[in-house]
Amino acid sequence: MSRRAVRVLAGVAPPLFFGVLLLGVWEAIVRGFDLKPYFLVPPSNIGSRFVDNWGNIWAAMRVSGTNAAFGLVLGSMAGIVIAFLLSRFKLLDELITPMSIAVNAIPAFVLVSVFSNMFSTTSVVPRRLMVTLVVFFVVLVNVAKGLRQVDATHAELMRSYAASNWEILRKVRVPNAIPYLFTALKIAAPLSVIYAYVSEYFGGAQDGLGSRITGNIANSKNAVGWAYVLGACLLGLAFYVISIAIEAAVTPRGLAQPNRDGS
Amino acid sequence: MNAVEVMGVRKVFNQGKGNQVDALVDIDLVISPGSFVTLIGPSGCGKSTLLRLIANLTEPTSGSISVNGKRAKQARLDQDYGMAFQQAGLFDWRTVARNIELPLELKGWDRAKRRARSTEMLDLVKLPEFSGYMPWQLSGGMQQRVAIARALAAHPPLLLMDEPFGALDEMTREHMQAELLRICASTGTTVIFVTHSIPEAVYLSSQVVVMSPRPGRITQLVDVPFGKERSEETREDALFYAKITEVREALRGAEFEPTARGIEDR
Amino acid sequence: MTATTKNLKEVVAAAPVQRYWLVRRARRAAMFVLSVVIIAAGWELYKSVGPQDGGSVLGWKILPRAKDRVMPHVSDIVSRFGDPIGRSSDESVLSVVLKAVFYSLRLVLAGFAIGLVAGVLLAVVMTRFKIAARAVLPYLVISQTIPLIALAPLVVSWGGKLKVGGLVWERWMSASLLGAFLTFFPIAVGTLRGLQSPPASSIELMDSLAAPWRSTLFKLRFPSALPYMIPALKLGAAGAVIGVVVSEISTGLRGGIGRLVIEFGRLTTSDPAIVYTAVIGAAVLGLTMAALVSLVDVLLMRNRPREVLA
Repeated sequence: MSRRAVRVLAGVAPPLFFGVLLLGVWEAIVRGFDLKPYFLVPPSNIGSRFVDNWGNIWAAMRVSGTNAAFGLVLGSMAGIVIAFLLSRFKLLDELITPMSIAVNAIPAFVLVSVFSNMFSTTSVVPRRLMVTLVVFFVVLVNVAKGLRQVDATHAELMRSYAASNWEILRKVRVPNAIPYLFTALKIAAPLSVIYAYVSEYFGGAQDGLGSRITGNIANSKNAVGWAYVLGACLLGLAFYVISIAIEAAVTPRGLAQPNRDGS
Repeated sequence: MNAVEVMGVRKVFNQGKGNQVDALVDIDLVISPGSFVTLIGPSGCGKSTLLRLIANLTEPTSGSISVNGKRAKQARLDQDYGMAFQQAGLFDWRTVARNIELPLELKGWDRAKRRARSTEMLDLVKLPEFSGYMPWQLSGGMQQRVAIARALAAHPPLLLMDEPFGALDEMTREHMQAELLRICASTGTTVIFVTHSIPEAVYLSSQVVVMSPRPGRITQLVDVPFGKERSEETREDALFYAKITEVREALRGAEFEPTARGIEDR
Repeated sequence: MTATTKNLKEVVAAAPVQRYWLVRRARRAAMFVLSVVIIAAGWELYKSVGPQDGGSVLGWKILPRAKDRVMPHVSDIVSRFGDPIGRSSDESVLSVVLKAVFYSLRLVLAGFAIGLVAGVLLAVVMTRFKIAARAVLPYLVISQTIPLIALAPLVVSWGGKLKVGGLVWERWMSASLLGAFLTFFPIAVGTLRGLQSPPASSIELMDSLAAPWRSTLFKLRFPSALPYMIPALKLGAAGAVIGVVVSEISTGLRGGIGRLVIEFGRLTTSDPAIVYTAVIGAAVLGLTMAALVSLVDVLLMRNRPREVLA
């Protein structure tokens, strides 16, 4: 086996082993202690229910996925635009930044109740609006930071060339901000899925993953509920993978990445 | 008893793999107590590696090292030496005094004893008013002095220094060299010092150990007979310049390349 | 020139630094209040010009209804706090909301504490045993992408049905547990990064001082980890709040602010302003936790140089 293959295998083996071990222990505990389904369902049951209900699960995934995608795209675009404005007008920055910090701290889900009243109960708008809002703030904070935190040396260099603000923006700030945009997208993508379907726990139109999960549990069909949870996890993971793929396609290799917490 | 004995030491990194490196070969060195010995050589000659072997931060591939009459590992566990690096390496979250007290905490000293010793050390390095300051409030030279105070806090018989003045500007550097000599004269500590700078080596040491490029060997020992009392005038002495020339030629002779790499002539 | 005078000239003055940071925080708080005022003004503006029954833009029904029944005046919302809750009791809305916030806050703190301890412990284990780090870290990273909150209804359904030893599992425990779960992951990741952050030279220093692993952990790794843990604590606090509130909502966990939001939401036809009071209450809950973490931040980091890390 080539040296590189050995290294890849060595990297993948421990987590793989750990994951399989976890699944095995889970299955053994449920079967061994004969735990009731309302507590824990063994992975094997979840798997079989997932396969049985695939058609319904897929339909629910599509609904939640569409809502999430809508909000993701809209929120990102709005976030980028406002971030540009923030970089230009310092006062706006001082007004909006404390607000974004606050919004990050509060449980934004509760706004769905309010939205459900503002729009008709069958509308998709409350959920999509919720996702848009959340994505907006994430993208805003990160892109604004990217536009702002330019290496002082680069900024000074451009000023020595008597470059206009617009040119500095184009040549220095924007390229600097792109990794920050992707950091934001990697956070926002799974977040959009979460907010898309958890919003359904709060009422409103009931055709996505959230309502299916609560519905099945309410009817004591826990294993099916778990299968829908699996679907939700897969959807979130898919969005994350897509955002990574887009980043890999757009960014040249070897570019330094800022970290998830923004440092 | 010798302060340090290095016998037949060889150090190889990544043995058996494609990127194997022979860092040190056939090192034999004896250092007597109270002396100030400098290791000098071009980049990559293994002088820092040798220092770290003595400090037992890494083990030799073959050969043995004894420090203070014990095996190097035992000497480290017994805290028979203090060490100072190029970066002062002070802890940002501790005051200057508490930084100096770090080795003493690890030895289990009680607070009163620790505080008395750190005050004593701050007097020694001439920074008595700064015990409550934070490291980032101090200049580079002052931080390095605190690092030396920390290294000497437990009064070890041996001090190991790996280019501690390398990050300082020229004037601070000369000042620090004088301070270091004064401190070591008053404590009687044996010092092993690693540097790139020939004038620094000659000014500070009683003996200069010249090393060859990789694989590192000791090629020559140059005695510097100035005695412990050295001053600014020493730097102007004719013998000083002669010794600098002697070391420089020893370094040139040690190399197989015509150009000198990594040696400073300042 | 004596050595001492020369030294004093080299020192950077530290006193103004502390004052500067206090001023910055006060200014930020003032700006926050100003932005709330601006939002309120925007609210009223929309009410005066917006379509009473909702409207469409380019065929999309995206304009919310502006009538008083759906979007009460800001003054109505504020005054609603002071009025009695009506129907069953004379207790003021403010009192009811605050009680609910306090109830949820205790659940959040319990969950946060558990998640914090578990996360830090795991991070320490992963620092000590590299193989544990290699095996578990990918899951920790992935956990921040998959919607763990999906487990909320499942965990909550344990309430009242499960017996652990002699103890019956209460619904509120599910809420705290979920809060703990969402706290655990960001704190484990952040703490791990922090514990691994000290430079090799500092680790070597501890080696040269013959320090045992435990001493290095407490004297070097943990202090170095603090700047990394603070943003993780913020994420964890937000996660704990979300976990508890969502759990409250997916059951009927009486007493908490999440439940209150749903209950008040159902009253909108007769009492349009009351749901907003609950929403504000939920916001207060989140902000309280954020303020607590900020307090920890200020207390623990006051002696450190301010780098752009958090």
